[in-house]
Amino acid sequence: MAEPGAFPLEVTDVIKDYPGSVRALDRVSFRIAPGERACLLGPNGAGKTTLIRLLTGALSPSYGQVRLFGLGVQHDDFLTARRRVGIVPQLPGMYRDFSVDDYLQLVRDLYGRGDIAEVVEGFGLGPYTRRPMAELSGGMQRRLSLAAALLGSPDVLLLDEPTVGLDPVAMRDVHSFLRRMMPGRTVLLCTHNLAEAEALCESAVILQQGRVVLHERIDALRQRIPALLALRAAQGPERLLAALTELGTSGRREEDAVLVPSPEPTTQAPELLRRLLAAGVDVYECRLVTPSLEQLFLDIIGAPHART
Amino acid sequence: MLAPEVRILLRKELRQLVRNRGAMLTALFLPVLIMLIVPLAQILGVNPDRPPELGFAKDSLPPGLAAVGKDPLAFMRLLLMPLVGMGGMLTPALTASYTFIAEREARTMELLVALPVRVGQILLAKLLAVLALATPVCLALLALDAGLLLARGMGSIGYVIALLVLVLSSLAFSSTTALLVSLLARDIRTSSNLNGIILTPFIFVSFAVVLLVPGVILAAAITAGMFILGTAGALLFAMRVITFERMLR
Repeated sequence: MAEPGAFPLEVTDVIKDYPGSVRALDRVSFRIAPGERACLLGPNGAGKTTLIRLLTGALSPSYGQVRLFGLGVQHDDFLTARRRVGIVPQLPGMYRDFSVDDYLQLVRDLYGRGDIAEVVEGFGLGPYTRRPMAELSGGMQRRLSLAAALLGSPDVLLLDEPTVGLDPVAMRDVHSFLRRMMPGRTVLLCTHNLAEAEALCESAVILQQGRVVLHERIDALRQRIPALLALRAAQGPERLLAALTELGTSGRREEDAVLVPSPEPTTQAPELLRRLLAAGVDVYECRLVTPSLEQLFLDIIGAPHART
Repeated sequence: MLAPEVRILLRKELRQLVRNRGAMLTALFLPVLIMLIVPLAQILGVNPDRPPELGFAKDSLPPGLAAVGKDPLAFMRLLLMPLVGMGGMLTPALTASYTFIAEREARTMELLVALPVRVGQILLAKLLAVLALATPVCLALLALDAGLLLARGMGSIGYVIALLVLVLSSLAFSSTTALLVSLLARDIRTSSNLNGIILTPFIFVSFAVVLLVPGVILAAAITAGMFILGTAGALLFAMRVITFERMLR
């Protein structure tokens, strides 16, 4: 049984060392609240997949605790908590000697519940139930993974790169399924696709070199980093930059535009435009650029092409 | 009593093994050759009432073969022991290549660990599936040999029990080395090489014991003891040194 009031996903002070003195995770701690839809972001090798595997119980931490609904991996009732979690693994292999129906039957048996006909219909797998799993297209394989994750009506979804390797059509297909699956559930979405994370999640956990550098709501993150005004002038960006410097405002060139940080754009933009026009700079475009999750991510991990 | 998850996974493993003709043929061909065809040729090729005169001088033979000088049928009984041991060693090793390594090669292990099961339960179900196929095959082949031996008066009950102990201990040894190999090897080719490296010395030693140890029962006991020690060693090495996490890397 789950501990009353326990968080669905809880990682406390976790260290994970692999043989060869490779430290994949270094004192990682975070908690995902009930109903929270969080994305797990980080550059390659940050420890995302290790973290997902620790949460599934497939790996054990070298130090610290990983709990599902308050139950650690060693707890006798851990599997009861695991049955409340649906997992979409990252690019899993598919059985050649198991049909879609065989696999869903196995999943239902292990979860002890689930309506196969319902998920088959919901994910459009009807024509493929007797087909070997390995003979499905990439998009259909991903649908099958989603259907299997959802079959046991889980409270929590762990999604490890659910759209990696898919073409745009299949990716859109998966996104629409995810939008239907996620409401009312606690979700941890591990992804490299920041637009996907932004569209589907409300908070972000960012890992870098095995450490959590941030766990915050995405809208709060946006407030931390000022919006930008993208300006274009008839005289070109160099003249625009010079005029901005004369006005005591900093900016940076990006192609033929100049980006100016603007924490209060509603008051700052009209004033700046008036002053630029008065200075003889013919500004013909002024556009507000809200920082995307990608920009926030690059800022946080300090990538070389991050915003200055 | 097995956990429900292990029973469900065991059903899955057996279903996949039975469907896999390659696995079934590979798992059956060598044991049938080693434990049935060769022993049958030995048993049926000798007339127990008029055994062939081998013509060895008693003193020229190693201690284990000393009995051959006075009882030509003893050679057949001695030869059967390492053959039976080899059968017990090879059957699980070949089956395990399909259950463990094929899963690893195809990266389907990721699918299994995404389900509400423990990694240990996945491995236990696979080991049980290997044993569930290998044990009846080996025991059935041994039963045929033993029935013929007893019917033709070419072996005693004690000798048949010694063969049975040998088969069971070699099955246990091979199953644990199969686990070890499955943790070390990433593909079937590597697993075949590792199986060769691990099992070949044991095959040579089991023949050496027959040559050097006087008395069939003592030789069988020493060989079985070697298999049991090997089982404990492989199990400890697999669980303590290599760990199951390797399956996921």
